[in-house]
Amino acid sequence: MSDIPGGPMENRPVHFIWILDVSYSMMGEKIGQLNYAIREAIPEMQSVAHDNPAAQLLLRVLTFSSTANWHIANPTPVESFTWQDVQVDGGTNLGDALYAVARELETPPMPQRALKPVLALVSDGQPLDEWRDGLRAIDATPWGKKAVRVAIGIGADADRGVLQEFLANPELQVLDANSPKQLAAAIRWASTAAVKAASQPVAGGTPGGAKQLAPAYAPPALDDDDDDDVW
Amino acid sequence: MSVPQPDNPAQPWDTRHHSVQGPAKARNQDWSDVEYTPDGALLLAVADGHGSAAHPLSHLGARYAVDVFKLCAAQFATRARAAGDGAGGGLRRLWADAHDRMPRELVRIWQDWVVDRHTPADGEEHRTGPALLRAHGTTLIGAVLTEGLFVAWQLGDGDLMVVHPDGTVAQPLTPEQAELGDETESMCSRQAWDLVRVHWAPISDPARLPRLVTLSTDGLSNSFAARDGFIRFVRELDQRINTEGLAAVGDALPGWLGRAGSYSGDDTTAVVASLKRPAPAPMETED
Repeated sequence: MSDIPGGPMENRPVHFIWILDVSYSMMGEKIGQLNYAIREAIPEMQSVAHDNPAAQLLLRVLTFSSTANWHIANPTPVESFTWQDVQVDGGTNLGDALYAVARELETPPMPQRALKPVLALVSDGQPLDEWRDGLRAIDATPWGKKAVRVAIGIGADADRGVLQEFLANPELQVLDANSPKQLAAAIRWASTAAVKAASQPVAGGTPGGAKQLAPAYAPPALDDDDDDDVW
Repeated sequence: MSVPQPDNPAQPWDTRHHSVQGPAKARNQDWSDVEYTPDGALLLAVADGHGSAAHPLSHLGARYAVDVFKLCAAQFATRARAAGDGAGGGLRRLWADAHDRMPRELVRIWQDWVVDRHTPADGEEHRTGPALLRAHGTTLIGAVLTEGLFVAWQLGDGDLMVVHPDGTVAQPLTPEQAELGDETESMCSRQAWDLVRVHWAPISDPARLPRLVTLSTDGLSNSFAARDGFIRFVRELDQRINTEGLAAVGDALPGWLGRAGSYSGDDTTAVVASLKRPAPAPMETED
């Protein structure tokens, strides 16, 4: 008797959404290094996915400048994901982007049966719109509240306060990327550790009052950069 | 695993339970057990330690939860028997007992065991109080089947499934809205006794006893593409026990759980209690 009773079996998806600042302030080396870092991180994401066969890693990319645009709109299995460079354009309307993400975190289109989504925000500037409204829209969705969030601030002008509010957890830290080397390390970490964290069970309502535990995916201490090329 | 059961009319259930470690997991953080009390009550329990870096001792927490349940449930079964023998009002008091006393005892004794039995390993992070409880975080599902009464308790995720005499499948402790992702309520949660869900089912007529009761960790139900697929699993499990017998189903169970774990990525554990039934008809063969 080997045939298992019941309906078909399937692993659960992890929806990973990159939310990338492509405003004019990213022009030049920053956008080039961002494209390079994400392209280089894809094989590591594929490796993490291979090591977690119970999770089906699906990637999407949203860019924001004067408006938010889905650069890669369809949830794409990491195995078949190829990076297409993003281009700079316009201002820093983060709120539009967060609204767009919030719409995708409703159920549907998000399935009820899934692992926690990952939201990875990368920005080098200060939002020009009512970004808190967009953040509230994410927090109002069931999956938005559960999402694993990571934030990377590029260069000295990035508004760390905004990124910290996006994280919605004082125990989480914004990753500072003040050089190409640090950006590459931050992207690599966000691409892999956050995916692992999304598939780890946690106890809700734990002693101490926090609904969710301190994350087990503490960001790495990025080396001080000895490059001359510091943003 | 099975509990040896002579053909004793006071023990109308046959049982099997098994657990399979999840792929790529360092250790199995589930625990389960089945036990008949001397006066014939059947106790079933399964616990799912949360695992992950935030709960490094949850394999112990799960084991404590199952053992604490057996301790409390055996005492509850004794009180249930006394209530059944007594004058009017006994069942009403027992209902309050099941809904109030049992959850509090389960959580309190589990917490005491976690604190009292903790011996830090060399180099282990020093933890006390809530941090120590959190390190042991686990879910728990337990059931008592005794004369005239079926009661079950659940804290956190996992599944209690019941197949009624007419073959319908019920999931009496499943919340209307399941937790999203892998977040769950826990024995380590604040005021965890308030989070315990209770199934209370007096059974005055033995003909209305459930045919099948299963307790399982979420590693099993999470492996199915849809909830209906898991409900179908329970229904077909019952049908196969009818046609092929519990022994054959019990032999196949480890393989099924292992297959489920390859999809859910989790430790996968099931406890099966099947009302004793006629042996399946032998397969006809052609000469």
